[in-house]
Amino acid sequence: MTALGYVAAANGVIWIGIWLYLLRLDSRLTSREKERS
Amino acid sequence: MRLLKILLGPYLLAVTLAAFLWPKPARGFIGESSRIVFFHVPCAWTATLAFIVAALASIVHLKRRDDTSDEAAAAAVRLGFLFSALATVSGSIFAQVMWGSYWNWDPRETSILLLLFLYAAYLFLRAAVPDPERRGVFCAVYALFSAFVMPFLLFVAPRVTESLHPQTIINKQGKILMDVPTKTVFFTALFGFTALFFWMWSVDYRIERMKRRNATL
Repeated sequence: MTALGYVAAANGVIWIGIWLYLLRLDSRLTSREKERS
Repeated sequence: MRLLKILLGPYLLAVTLAAFLWPKPARGFIGESSRIVFFHVPCAWTATLAFIVAALASIVHLKRRDDTSDEAAAAAVRLGFLFSALATVSGSIFAQVMWGSYWNWDPRETSILLLLFLYAAYLFLRAAVPDPERRGVFCAVYALFSAFVMPFLLFVAPRVTESLHPQTIINKQGKILMDVPTKTVFFTALFGFTALFFWMWSVDYRIERMKRRNATL
């Protein structure tokens, strides 16, 4: 794999981390909101 | 809605990989530095969008005086500030590669720094007024004032004098000077960042709403 490929993969991993964090936060918020209503 | 949030993951992953692996580097740039356009410009666009959303939510707040619109405006400003900071940092890295220095006091660098100060003041104002009603009104008026200043800082001031900054998307020729792969990745990134902003915005103000409800219990 080229250097650019490694940079692309590293950036992809960072994005997946952010996305998974947001998904988890979103679903926790949704379940809290459901509990309250 | 949940499906869209799930799809945004692979969508932006594909955009990220394509940004590095598909278009060729643009001519006139050192090494791979032109690829910054796929991150830097969407960040700047998202910041602009966030500040417009903040101004709209502020208008709603001044009319209705409800907590939701105030929280929505504050969340939009927080995200606008974050994306402006990311645009500034990424631009600064590009400046180091292209011009040999992280900061050159170029008109565009200076104007985005002033924009950061402008909206940092909004966040300080929020923290400084304890009464929620007065805070809401003060912040809404300030967000509207900032929204009038913002286009001057982003679109007018950097064009008044000569700049080191490469041609922007909105340029004198009135054309998008990109080849097809660059254009494709660029616009898909722009769309993905816009979707990401609206998602982050909803999460942010829902958290604030929950905090307020917990505080009033």
